[in-house]
Amino acid sequence: MLKKNVAVMICMVMLCSILAACSGGNSGGNAKETDKPTNAATNNAGSKETDPPKEDIKDKKITISIYYPLPDQVENRKLEDDKIKRFNEVYPNVEIVKSDWHYNPSEIGIKMAANEAPTFFNTWATEAKFLQERGWVADITELWDAYPYKDQINPVLQSQFIIDGKVFGVSQKAYVTTTVVNKKLLDEKGVPVPSYDWTWDDMYNTAKAVADPKKGIAGIAPMGKGTEAGWNWTNFLFEAGGEVQNVADGKVTATFNSPAGLKALEFYNKLRWEANAIPQDWALGWGDAVGAFGQSRTAMVIAGAEGVLEQALNQGGLKPEDVLTFPMPAAEKGGKHTGVLGGDYLVINPNATKDEQDMAFRYITFDYFTDKGLESLETDIQKRQAEGKFFIPPQMNYYSPSSEYGQKAQAIFDKYDNVYKYNAESDALLDGKPEAQYNTQDYYGELTNVLQEVFSTKGADLQGLLDKSAKVVQEKFFDSIKVE
Amino acid sequence: MNQPVAVGEPLDTQVQRKAGRWKKHISGYLFLLPAAIIFILFLWVPITKGIIYSFYSIDFVKGNEFVGLENYKTIFNDPDVWIGVKNTLYYMFLCLVIGFWVPILFAIAISELRRFQGFVRVAAYLPNVIPAVVLYGLWRWFYDPVGPINGLLTQTGSDQIAFLTNRSWSMISLVIMETWQQFGSGMLIYLAAVLSIPRDWYEAAEIDGAGIFRRIWHITLPSIRGLVLLLFLLQLIATTQGFQSQLALLDGGPNKATLTYSLLIVKYAFTRLDYGVASALGVLMFLVLGGLALLQFKLNNKEAGKS
Repeated sequence: MLKKNVAVMICMVMLCSILAACSGGNSGGNAKETDKPTNAATNNAGSKETDPPKEDIKDKKITISIYYPLPDQVENRKLEDDKIKRFNEVYPNVEIVKSDWHYNPSEIGIKMAANEAPTFFNTWATEAKFLQERGWVADITELWDAYPYKDQINPVLQSQFIIDGKVFGVSQKAYVTTTVVNKKLLDEKGVPVPSYDWTWDDMYNTAKAVADPKKGIAGIAPMGKGTEAGWNWTNFLFEAGGEVQNVADGKVTATFNSPAGLKALEFYNKLRWEANAIPQDWALGWGDAVGAFGQSRTAMVIAGAEGVLEQALNQGGLKPEDVLTFPMPAAEKGGKHTGVLGGDYLVINPNATKDEQDMAFRYITFDYFTDKGLESLETDIQKRQAEGKFFIPPQMNYYSPSSEYGQKAQAIFDKYDNVYKYNAESDALLDGKPEAQYNTQDYYGELTNVLQEVFSTKGADLQGLLDKSAKVVQEKFFDSIKVE
Repeated sequence: MNQPVAVGEPLDTQVQRKAGRWKKHISGYLFLLPAAIIFILFLWVPITKGIIYSFYSIDFVKGNEFVGLENYKTIFNDPDVWIGVKNTLYYMFLCLVIGFWVPILFAIAISELRRFQGFVRVAAYLPNVIPAVVLYGLWRWFYDPVGPINGLLTQTGSDQIAFLTNRSWSMISLVIMETWQQFGSGMLIYLAAVLSIPRDWYEAAEIDGAGIFRRIWHITLPSIRGLVLLLFLLQLIATTQGFQSQLALLDGGPNKATLTYSLLIVKYAFTRLDYGVASALGVLMFLVLGGLALLQFKLNNKEAGKS
């Protein structure tokens, strides 16, 4: 009988545990402050309505979960740990929880539904409209207006996250899409390095000359899988003078099937079927293409330079003099070297309380424009130097390079020989163009199908493919948009 | 349905008796309770919610909106759905043609081994324990234009094959890779069945002059026929849901050649964030799989009845 009772008790305990475990999250939908187990539960100060109006935020017990580097980013983790320590010296009332969830368009919906997104998280330039429309980013206009350095933030970058006059994110760094060239491969093949003011013809000739399909070496690796394939191609669309969409009279119209679009697609077609210069297994995502570049299996790759250089120099064993950062080629001589403007931003979770949002904003901007920020930057460079690694500065930073702070940072970069130096001539030619506003990822995804058809079918009807794709994008995504 | 009760027994006695029966078995029911709760929470609630969501436009933050059959209309108007169905059927067919017989063959071959049977059994099962990430990396290398398979082809004077990017090859390549990884578990099940066949049947057949192929044809295969049928149905059910390698290696490409129905559900849910249509797609799949499961259940009962 005793055994039976013990068994019954165990069952009851198990049952209670299961129910307790399953009842933690909110039920989705409109989250209320009381529904926030991770954030609100630890905020002993209570809600805004009960706070005295002039209470100091330093007196409140606040918990924020922060965007924390991934486990393989050892150096960045050390830097973040140091920042946490310094932040806690100023704000001892704040408990910081590290979250290594990194933004992913396919996970953000679930994260928001389950109220599991950290208090602030990273995102990209493409996502501003998408996140704002769904209400997945907090409106931080009030915090932004009170920020003393707001006028010194690089306005080109910041403008991506200012929608209808409201601020939804803080810029970190940005890039204009470039073509990174493996000069070593060109030298080995005796292929001359083109000038920075290059054209599609130069790119074509270089790719064709260096490609050696039998040895598995490609001249260029345009991405061919995932949304990044469409993103890569859009650079060529822009260079040819085309646009993804036209926004007028409250409607969005797909325009990438224009003559400019056809010209860009013909160029891809030539690279594949005339020059045979792309990888035989062309279904490469960003990681695959950049990895192939780092392993010297392709002479050129199209991406933001920082990530490619990090891979090539610090993991692929290439030397800085072997890797050149080119602007995207102009369609014709004298044309613009337009590349898609991309960037990294930090946004704040709208489900967080006002105090948590405030503290998250303080954390994000804690090192901005401070000497501590510069010290931290220099320490990072020194550490990398000691380990025989290179520091790759972002192409564009949150501060403008001509500002006093920008010049101080540049002075640090100039002091060290392990800091990658972008070519000034190349930089001067960069022409950044922001991504399309509406359903950008959907358009990229649809375009990827077109590119895969071009890469897999010789003699494909290019205009027909573009028209069909534009129709799909128009009907599936753009027709339902009402621009106010 | 009315339960037969003892004639003339007073009602309160019946109630008391029922209560007594409950009391007697209460601990047993309590033991069942955790499992039942887990099933309800993690299986039946999501299934029910999925069915309900299929009639809604889902927005977890701003709130859901009832849209009636709109999600189902979207499905029937989306050409990708038909591509997904076609590709799934093709994938199922390839899995049967390329993969289904492999574990049977290995099981019979291993059962005939007189030495090293244990080693071969482990070796054949080993690919099963390889993590998916390693598997994809490994097979990317196998299929590489300058990888071992293409190396062998070019050595023999043949052209390179674009295993992953040639539309005629992409699905076949994925099925070969999956067969290599998964045949081990099926093989163990078949092997257990083959080894349970009485040895004296074989001895008798040998005395009668039956060779190895006749023994397999007349003894082994008929003896494991029920199991073959069961695993055939289970494979059909499993392959209708295939999307993992299609997503990881090719993201449904080249140009939707490996876009399966399940992968389309994933894309609707996690790329387009349209959980309503994704749920409706899931409901339709649930109906088809439910039919297959019912068939499997009936066949199982039939086999059990025979034995």
